[in-house]
Amino acid sequence: MGGSASQLPRDLLGEYQELTFLTKQEILLAHKRFSELLSKEERESILQKRVPKSKILTLPELRANPFRDRICRVFSTSEDGDGSMSFEDFLDMLSVFSDSATSEIKSHYAFRIFDFDDDGTLDRKDLEKLVNCLTGEGDETRLSESEMDQLIQNFLQDRAVMALRPF
Amino acid sequence: MTYHYNEAFENPDYRYSETLEIDRSRERNSSFLQNHHDSSLDDDSLYDSYEGGRGQRNQDYPMASMQPGFRYSHSASRPNTNPYGNPHTNPSFEYEPEFAYTSPSTFHAGDGPYVRRASDMSDGGSFSQSYNRRQADLVYRMPSSLLRLDSNAETYDKDKYKHEEKLIKNLASISSKERVKAIQKTPKTMKEKRDIRNKVLMEKTKKSVSSSTQINCCTQCLYKTALSYQRFKNGMSEYLHLLQLWQKTLKVIGGKFGTSVLSYFVFLKWLLTFNIFSFLVNFSFITIPQLIASGPNNLSFNGLELLTGAGYFKKTVLYYGFYTNSTITKTENNSSYDMQLAYIFTIGIYFIICFFSLVYSMAKSFRKNFINPQTYSGSAAKLLCIWDFNITNEKAVKLKQSNLSTQIKESLSEVTLEVLNLSPKQRIARIAVHLLVWMASLGIAAACCAGVYFFSRNNLQLLEGNKSELENEAATLVLPIVVSLLNLLIPFCFALFGLIEKFQYPRHQLYATVIRNVFLKIAIIGILCYYWLNDVATSEKECWESLVGQDIYRLIVIDFIFCLLASFFGEFVRRIIGTKCCKKLGVPEFDIARNVLDLIYTQTLAWIGIFFAPLMPAMQIISFFIIFYVKKVSLMRNCQPPRKVWRASQMTTLFIFLLFFPSFTGVLSVMAVIIWRRTPSKQCGPFQGLTSIIDAVSGWMHILDSYSSSKWVVWIYYNLIGSVHFFFILTVIVLIITYLYWQIIEGRRIMVRLLHEQIINRSSSSYQPYRRAALQMTASIERPFGRNGRDFYVEPSSARIPEKTSLPPADTEGCQPGISETLALALRARQQAEWEMEDNDDEDFRP
Repeated sequence: MGGSASQLPRDLLGEYQELTFLTKQEILLAHKRFSELLSKEERESILQKRVPKSKILTLPELRANPFRDRICRVFSTSEDGDGSMSFEDFLDMLSVFSDSATSEIKSHYAFRIFDFDDDGTLDRKDLEKLVNCLTGEGDETRLSESEMDQLIQNFLQDRAVMALRPF
Repeated sequence: MTYHYNEAFENPDYRYSETLEIDRSRERNSSFLQNHHDSSLDDDSLYDSYEGGRGQRNQDYPMASMQPGFRYSHSASRPNTNPYGNPHTNPSFEYEPEFAYTSPSTFHAGDGPYVRRASDMSDGGSFSQSYNRRQADLVYRMPSSLLRLDSNAETYDKDKYKHEEKLIKNLASISSKERVKAIQKTPKTMKEKRDIRNKVLMEKTKKSVSSSTQINCCTQCLYKTALSYQRFKNGMSEYLHLLQLWQKTLKVIGGKFGTSVLSYFVFLKWLLTFNIFSFLVNFSFITIPQLIASGPNNLSFNGLELLTGAGYFKKTVLYYGFYTNSTITKTENNSSYDMQLAYIFTIGIYFIICFFSLVYSMAKSFRKNFINPQTYSGSAAKLLCIWDFNITNEKAVKLKQSNLSTQIKESLSEVTLEVLNLSPKQRIARIAVHLLVWMASLGIAAACCAGVYFFSRNNLQLLEGNKSELENEAATLVLPIVVSLLNLLIPFCFALFGLIEKFQYPRHQLYATVIRNVFLKIAIIGILCYYWLNDVATSEKECWESLVGQDIYRLIVIDFIFCLLASFFGEFVRRIIGTKCCKKLGVPEFDIARNVLDLIYTQTLAWIGIFFAPLMPAMQIISFFIIFYVKKVSLMRNCQPPRKVWRASQMTTLFIFLLFFPSFTGVLSVMAVIIWRRTPSKQCGPFQGLTSIIDAVSGWMHILDSYSSSKWVVWIYYNLIGSVHFFFILTVIVLIITYLYWQIIEGRRIMVRLLHEQIINRSSSSYQPYRRAALQMTASIERPFGRNGRDFYVEPSSARIPEKTSLPPADTEGCQPGISETLALALRARQQAEWEMEDNDDEDFRP
């Protein structure tokens, strides 16, 4: 593992392997990437620190993603609701997005990511925001009012969607 | 000592030490106390089983990040004081893989989820699901709690705690592997998962302490070996990870171009593993012994051999002809190595392993993609599943967004045009055009076959010709060049048909193109095999297998060169044209289908070639490596991400299927014909002098017969492998089993459809008695409003997933509401009975 100042203790590594879908290499790599986001002094106590959302969003994998804000917010366990992530939140996020995660857990978190107002339902406002994220903010690519209405109407009437409503 | 030992055994997956987990977790708990404040916000989610510390968190519900099963209304900020625990908890939430939308104000206390996926019994999803249902049952059984607020809050807490205990007990009772998987699958934060795990481990040690008896040293030894074996396996898997090829490159490609283009490169990498395996096996078992016992090579080497494969290479280990038929013995010891048996068994076993590996990959791929009771096409799937989270490049993201926007706008405008009511005349015209195009493509393929056959006969005559050696050899290159040209140009021809032929769905066009190209390539390979097996093999040539090997070598090399050229012209030059000269064309897209079919074609040739040139896989390896890097560079510089939506996983399944069905099975049939029906050449090769190759094995069986210890092998050979009756009985059994499974699948499909309808029916009304009445009412009513009955929707302003107060008719393909109602009631009754059974025993959590 080299001579990095803070290494993960082995039992903690084993525990993370049990609790997430990540392999040992992936956890160590995540550790390295996470510690790069912290300043030098903070790296000693990496497990207790929280990285602010602005720094997380500098990661190249998240930088361009239209859903980056939601991803940070969903996986963050910060009580202030500011979207800051601890190392364990970071691992949770990587675990859900990894290839070995089951589709149930992926769909669970996908729902939460798409639920922009966090009210447990995907209502019209959520769907509008979702479509805007998908099509981008450019003037040419945005959908007009009427197109948005029609799209959401089609969506809500889709047979699959109707069938999956709980009761 | 025993106590410690039990702990170590019960956690063999705990990889690094054997001390008590409990002690360690206790230590860590103390250091993590300050992290308590960072705990998650899903306080009242039904998945939250961690009880401790919740009291501290009552005050703040800042973000209320909710689990989908939980509808949190901002007014009820103190769930502890709520009579039902959570009035908006929807305990009937089914943990479906698709997205479920909670209805905001309906609370069905008594309706539990009645669809339980039996296959996921041991995962966290079903735990929580059943947990939800228990919760619901409990709450439902406390109707008087409506009036007593505080005391019921306590009861709610107590019940929750009791359920959590039950959950932990159940987790503790299953095997540790399943437990690990179950905990991994729960959608909770790391902290909560860790707490669950610690509690489960505590539970386990309690159980083990109470029930541990003297373990004798025999079992102790066994446990020790199990533990060390587990550690060894873990260590190995770490190092195996280092052997992964091209991980970073694939991630970069996926990040810039998306999953569809990535699937081509993954397919290439997968084919490469077949070749590497084949090369290792052939080299070690066939080539190395031969090299030990080889004679000198007195032919001269001139550069043309690299292309033609003849000349100097004729007398090397590259070809079949060089291998001896003798048994190779070292002078020191007596063990001998029978080259004949080694040759046939190595290649045979390699093909068997390939066969099982292909079948396994194909089945796994099918299961993921096609065996879906309802394919969710339509706008829902498009919106929710369409974003490719793999893409990380900013430009690519913008491109994808603009593509999506175009697609959505197109599909919105097409919705009205979707159901094209073609007049019969137009329909006939369309079918006529389809037929015409198919005839044309078949005709072209047949013409190509005829051309190839003509050239190949020409090839044969050249070998008897009396021109100079060099010219002869150069002329043998004509056939491969013709074949490669055909392979390159005819697909463009087929693509041109797309201008005439109109399909209703673009997907059908893609499939039609792929099928035509596959047909062309297989036809060409087929005619070549016919030529080799009929003309070359039965001609009186000296070493026909080596000739075939040389032919295949030339084909593969020329095809490789043409592939590089096509990449150069098709992508680089096209990009120059598209950006500099003719700006309208734009930058080319990476043509995934064509490239994958090229790979399949080359791999088929290589598989046929293994028998005639055992080191053919080495060439394939080199060529695949070079192709990978060339394609990657060309992609990065010249191409843009694909515009159309390409269902990558479905197309991958199709490609694996194509690799198996015409390609690999064709190779197996060719092998079968060679081994059973063709006489090997008399003067060269490991099978010289035999009447057929299979005689080598029969000869060996005779020899084995004389040894008494191996009579069982002989018996198996004669009575099982050699007898027709055995295969007949085996076939009948397999057919019967297949038929039974087919019927089971049909039954399940019907069941799923009925349940689906039941869900649609149930989603309208609030609770049971009203629903029953409503169902009976609608059974007698025709469909008044049809599918677009928006008049039913109660909240038009908020326009959420709307609440329907009365029952819309189920949108079915003609299913009677009456029948589904009866079935629904029957299902419900059965479900209730099952729940009662389960309440009595805890068997449901065991996998």
